[in-house]
Order: sequence, then structure tokens, then C-alpha cells
Amino acid sequence: MQRRTILLAGLAATATSLIRPTSARAAPVIGAPAPDFAAPDITGRPIRLGDLRGRTVVLEWTNHDCPFVQKHYRSGNMQATQAEAIAAGAVWIAVISSAPGEQGHVDAATAARLNLDRKATPTHVLLDPDGRIGRAYAAATTPHMFVIRGDGTLAYIGAIDDKPSTRLEDVPGANNYVRAAVRAVQAGQMPPLTSSRAYGCSIKYKTTS
Amino acid sequence: MVQKTLLGALTVLMLLVAGAGWAGEPVRTGKVTAQLIADRVAAVPGGELRLALVQQIDPGWHTYWRNPGDSGLPTEIAWTLPPGWRAGAIDWPAPERIPVGPLVNHGFHGRVVLPVTLRVPAEAVPGGMVQLIAAASWLVCADICIPEEATLSLTLPIADPAPADPAPADPAHAADFAAADMARPQPSPWPARLERAGPHLTLELAAPDLRAERIAGVWFAAHDSTLLDHAAPQSWGLAAGRLRIELPRSSLGTAPQADASGVLVIDEKLETGPRRLAFALPPDLIAAPVAAQAPSIVQILLAAFAGGLILNLMPCVFPVLVLKGLGLARLGQAGRGAARGQGLAYTAGVLVSFALLGGALLAARAAGHAVGWGFQLQSPPAVLALAYVIFAAGLGLSGGISIGGGLTGAGQSLAARDGRGGAFFTGALAVLVATPCTAPFMAGALGYAVTRPAWEALPVFLTLGLGLAAPFLLLSLSPALARHLPRPGPWMERLKQGLAFPMYATAAWLVWVLAQQSGADGVLAALLGMLLIAFAAWLHGASRGAGRWTRTLGLLGALAGLAGAGALLRLPDAAAAPAESVTGAVRWEPYSPARLTALRAEGRAVFIDATAAWCITCLVNERAALSSARIAAAFREGGVVTLKADWTNRDAAVSALLAAHGRAGVPLYLFYPSGGGAPRELPQLLTEGLVLAALAGQ
Repeated sequence: MQRRTILLAGLAATATSLIRPTSARAAPVIGAPAPDFAAPDITGRPIRLGDLRGRTVVLEWTNHDCPFVQKHYRSGNMQATQAEAIAAGAVWIAVISSAPGEQGHVDAATAARLNLDRKATPTHVLLDPDGRIGRAYAAATTPHMFVIRGDGTLAYIGAIDDKPSTRLEDVPGANNYVRAAVRAVQAGQMPPLTSSRAYGCSIKYKTTS
Repeated sequence: MVQKTLLGALTVLMLLVAGAGWAGEPVRTGKVTAQLIADRVAAVPGGELRLALVQQIDPGWHTYWRNPGDSGLPTEIAWTLPPGWRAGAIDWPAPERIPVGPLVNHGFHGRVVLPVTLRVPAEAVPGGMVQLIAAASWLVCADICIPEEATLSLTLPIADPAPADPAPADPAHAADFAAADMARPQPSPWPARLERAGPHLTLELAAPDLRAERIAGVWFAAHDSTLLDHAAPQSWGLAAGRLRIELPRSSLGTAPQADASGVLVIDEKLETGPRRLAFALPPDLIAAPVAAQAPSIVQILLAAFAGGLILNLMPCVFPVLVLKGLGLARLGQAGRGAARGQGLAYTAGVLVSFALLGGALLAARAAGHAVGWGFQLQSPPAVLALAYVIFAAGLGLSGGISIGGGLTGAGQSLAARDGRGGAFFTGALAVLVATPCTAPFMAGALGYAVTRPAWEALPVFLTLGLGLAAPFLLLSLSPALARHLPRPGPWMERLKQGLAFPMYATAAWLVWVLAQQSGADGVLAALLGMLLIAFAAWLHGASRGAGRWTRTLGLLGALAGLAGAGALLRLPDAAAAPAESVTGAVRWEPYSPARLTALRAEGRAVFIDATAAWCITCLVNERAALSSARIAAAFREGGVVTLKADWTNRDAAVSALLAAHGRAGVPLYLFYPSGGGAPRELPQLLTEGLVLAALAGQ
């Protein structure tokens, strides 16, 4: 019985992978498990999403030279959102998917210095120069934000707020979707908005993959 | 007044000399040189003025469309204008698809012209100057992105509205505006519908004139950035004149009634080089009930036959039918054989005319013209020619002038002759005068026919003709029916003369149509032409009994008169720009797709009357059901905006509206309820009760 179930599941999985167009980015889906990943952070510590079960996880795609990212760091918005989420018990992971030679590509030392300079306090910073994690999440822009529940399912995908611009003066009046999503997930509720169109610079992925 | 005009002219002149005016100073930002330009050298109070933000983008960099795609930001303009001045939204050109790694953006390279229409308040004082300020901001990207902004200003004189429009601006800017018009998506000539199918939207267009071997690429860009997965490839296929495009949906698009408007871009490779077609698709495609269930060909043919049959009762055709009935009655029982011959000849006349008309219509569509039923009446010379024929037929009926007098070759005498040739041409005349009318059932059949290949369309036209010819054919073939015809007598001559008056009335109406198409000059040409025709008929008739020389002279004079009338057919096409119009108590705004989209976006209820001055059915409906104080009050109370889509002259936007609802001709009545939702089509024959019920949502 057990063996047959496994066999059937295997067949179904094979069939699904055959039917699925291979070229399409398998976009992550709200409510479905977030793609797992494992990579060392800039301090060399191995990070695995699967190991963070039970905790709310926020993923932030970033590129320090992108004007949209600068808007949220110069205004202090990103740091404040980070601090609030971490204080509430969430794990905040910043991901840099810029390929070598592209804008935003940094080594571990530079990434650490950027945190100090900007007074940013992400729990971890992951370097993803081959774009593996970025592509698994279909991350398109910097910033692009993901909020993952303690059970590993996706709660929010999209923009940091509702003001797609590079103007610092838009930050005070904006509706911060990530802050709202983290609060809702911590309270065991559905976020008021589960997805939005991320806005920002395109992620400078490695061209051949 | 004169002084003011002089002052205005002087200002314009001074600006011309100074080289300023219709273009502001170019501003160089990091990667873009931006400039504000105008299409006129001066603004006119109460008029419109087209401005444009021109971006000359550095090579390798791009700015963004209204839906920027996976990343980026659209260009924005914030206007600072004097009180009363209003700026519209950017009239976006069709975008390029710009792949960036695994992502896709929508935007522009090189020189981009983003036009905006400004409304000049009527209170603007001629002779003064106006400063228009645009704070423009955009994101310009190569692989990296830079936000840029520029404050651009333009100072223009305000000119006197009369007598002429201010001169267009200098050729360089004219070229920019022309390029913007070329790049602007046109209303789609093809009926389209959009269907949800799992992770896809399927866009299907009836496009019989597309050739698969000519298409290099097809791409649909949605206005709403959450509707589609921008980077996913869109597959397309063309079969049996239908273009199908599979659009992978965005995982973000959750709203069930999302705005599905956008731009369809088709890249063609022609012998003359590549050509890019861009069509704007309306927002209500998902809801549009067009051909939700394609009717079978049998249903279509039945509808065509019924439509043709009912056409006999329309005011355009009925007198012709009575006339033929009279001819039949005169033949009496003795002339059964002749009657049968006439019936068949009449039918042949109808069918041949329908085949010709249908063929011409399909040929015109294949050549890329958006035409439909009654299209020939959109041309002033065709309207005038029809007025001539009907007037001459009226003269023939009135009697005493040249009936059967041997003016062979001229349609009216042929139609009045009692032989088979006469019957054939009466059939042709019946079709000709039937075109201004649309009977119930016809609309659907014709709408179907024009989107089909010829071998499927022609049977529909012929069946329509068969329906039109059926009553007379039956009468001429069946002795049992013919026995019920009244006995011939002198009353017949009186009735025939009496029937001349509906003909004159029709001619008078056609002259009114002409007045709208060609203005006062058209009316003069028509009246002079009719005078010459009457004169020719009289000259010919009067000289008939005389000697040989007089007769020849009379004939030559008559021919000269007809030639003169013919020469007057060279009419100018002087259609006035659509303006607000009033029928009875109801005020109509001119229809435009942009206006409809804007009103729908505001959630307003909208009633559209698609009509033409040459469409009798439309005029009857407007008088009977769309003009009373009661209707006006109902429109007002329901907050319904009334739009008139006038098809009197050729109009691509109106053709597209008709096509989107599977129609090939007017009338078409649409009611869009407030707060969104699918439009409701009202019947072709309207009553006040029907309209009131539709407005009340019943």
C-alpha cells in the first residue's frame, strides 16, 4: 500500500514536470511552500530556509546602487521595517543576486560595511551571484519582498509599499505592505494584501544560466 | 476687435522672429534630452492644443511605457497650468518589448514623443500669452537605472479663434507629431474576445485579412501590470481567419474582472520591408458577449433570409415593391408567362446586385478598409448618385416625361420599362435603395459575413437578397396568389404617379445627408444636378415628335445635361469634426474610445448610439425612442452619459466599436450600467419603453 502510494506520487511528479513548460519561471504562489534554499551568509554561516521553521521569515532583494533601494535606505524606511520585524521575532534575510561585474554586486566585506554605513540590521545577508535563489523566487526587482510564515508557506509577495517612485518624500504617506504582512502573520492572520506588483530596478542576473 | 487681432498677429510674428513659441528650451538630464513642443504656434480660446514631451534618449538606454513590465516606472507629467486649462493623460505610443535577463520591460528607445491634449478655456483672452509648465519625471535604464526629472516650460500666444486655425508649428515638430500618430495604437478593426482558460487568457480575433506567412511576431501588452506574466512567451496561431494568442497570466492578477485593455502589436514582414501594426483593445473584452457561442451557418442563413424578407417593409424598399406589384397586376392572367419571366429577372437583379455589393465590401475589407453595410453611403459622390437615380425614377413615375422614350442606358427608364430588363434593373434599384435600411436579423448575419472568408460570406449576402426578392418572386410564380391582385384600371396610373412622391422625399433626404457630408456646396451641386436631369428629360421628351434635326439637337442637349449632372459628382469630402449634437431633448457627446474608457473608469453609466445620417432605421429610432423629454429625464436621473458614434462619414473608431460587437453596420445601441459590468445591446428597432426598461436595469 505504502509503496504504491509512493510510486503513484512519483509518477504524478514526473508527469507534472513533463507538462510544465521548462522555460517559464515557476512563479511562487501565495499559500504554497516557499522554495527552499541553502547558502552561506556573509559571515560564512550556512543558512537553510527549512531550518527556520516556526519563525516568520522576510526576504529582501537588494542592490545598494539602485535608486529605488536608496529611497528606502536614505529615508530610513527599510531599516525601521527591519528593526520592527526582527523585534517581533522574525528573521530578515537580505539577498543580493547581482552577477559579478553588474551593478550591486559586492563581496562579503563590502556587504558588511554597507550594513554598518546604513545602520541596517538584517539577520543575514546572502550573496547569490549566480541568481539561483532569485530565479527560484522569480524575484524581479530591487527591492522585491517576500514574507514566509512559520510553516514555510508564502504569505506576501511584492513591493515594499504602494508608492512606486524613487522620491524620498513619498515614504511618509506610503502604505507599507511588508510591515502590515509581518504584523498579520505574527498575529496568525491573513495579511491585508497578499500580493502586489513589485517596483524597482530589474535584478542584474547573470545572463547565461 | 481689429486691433486685438492685429496685436495677436504681431505677437505671433514677433515670436516667429525670436524663434521661440511652440517649443520650449530643451533640458539635458543625465541620459535624456527633454523638450516640450506644441503642434500649433498659438492657443485658441475654447479649442484644443496638442503638446508633447519629447525624450531624446541616449543610445542603449530606455524609458518606460504606462505598464513598465517587470521593473521600471512610467514617465509622469505634472502640469502647472493657468486657471481653467485642463491637460489630458499621455496618449501613449505602442511600446517595445525589452528583455532584460529573465525579465521583460515595456518601453522606448531613441526619440520618444508623448502627446498630451490640452483644453484651452473659452475665457482665455486673445492677444495675451500663456505659460505652460510640465514637471516631468521618468526612470531611464540600461542595465542600471537612473531616475531623472526636468521642469519644462512653453510660452504660447493666445490667438483669435476666427477666421482660421493658427498655423501648424514648424516642420520638425510636425514630424514629431506625425511620428507619434504613426506609433499610436489604432482601434482594432477585428472583433476580439478574451477568455480565461486556467493559467492563460486566450485572446481571439476574427482577422480574415491577416496572412500567417507575413507575420514575424505577435505580442499583446496589457495596460494593467498585474494581468499578465510579462516575461512568459505568448504563443499564437492563425487558422481559418482567426488569430489566437495564449497569454500566460500573472500570479498577481487576482481580481476576476480585471481591466484587460492593452495594445496588440503585430510585426509583419512585407516585400517592402517590415511593418508594425499596433491596435488598442478595449477594457471590456473579457465581458464582451461577442460570439460567445458561435451561431451555426444555418442559423445565420435563416437570419439573413428573414432580414431580407423584412427589408421589403422598410420605407426604402416598399414603394419599389408596390410598383412591381402594379406591373404584375397590369399583365393580368393573360400574361402569366411574362410575369414569371419578370419575377425571375427581378430576382436575378437583386442577387447580382447583392453579390456585387458584397464582393465590393469584402474586397474593401481585404484591402484594409474598415467598411460595413451601407459603406458606399459614406462617400458623398455615391450619395449624390443615389439621389440622382431616385429623383430620375420619381420623374419617370410622375409621367409625361420620357417614359419609355428610348433613353436607354439610363437606369430610371430601364427600371420603369415593363420587360425583363426593366425587372432586372428594378431588382438592382431595390438593393440600392435598401442599403440605408437595416432590418432586424440582418445585423447579426452581416456582422458574421464580413468577418468570414468570401466563400462563406457570399452565401449570406445572396440569402439576404433571396429574402428581399422572395415576395415578388412568389407573386409572379404563383397563379393562386396573383389572383388576389386588384383588377387593373385607370387608378393604377394615379397610384403610380402618387408613388413618385416617396421617391422625391427620399431624394430630399439624401440631399440632407449630403449637406452633412459636403456642406452647402454639396447641396448646391445636388440641386443643380437634379435641375440638369429634369431639363434633360424635358428636352428629350419635347423634341421627340419633331423633325430629325430638332430630335438630334434635343438628344444632344439632354446628354449634355446628364453629363453636367455627372460632372457635379466630384464633390469635396468636407465632413465637419464631430461635435455635441442634440436630438429632441437629449444632448449627445461625440463618441471616442478614450472618452468611453475614461467614463467607465469613473464608473459612470454610458449609453452609446451608433448611427449615421444615411441610416433610415437609425433616424426613425432616434425620433421615436431617443429624443423625448421623458427619455432625457431618465438619462439625467440615471446619471447616464450619452455618446453618439457617428458613422455618416468613414470613422475607424466607430468601425472598431461595431466590430467589437460583431456588427458590420449601424444602428447599434449599447448601455453600460454604472459601476462597471458588461454592456447591454438593445434591439435594432427601439421603442421608448425598451430604452427605459434597459436604463432601469430590467
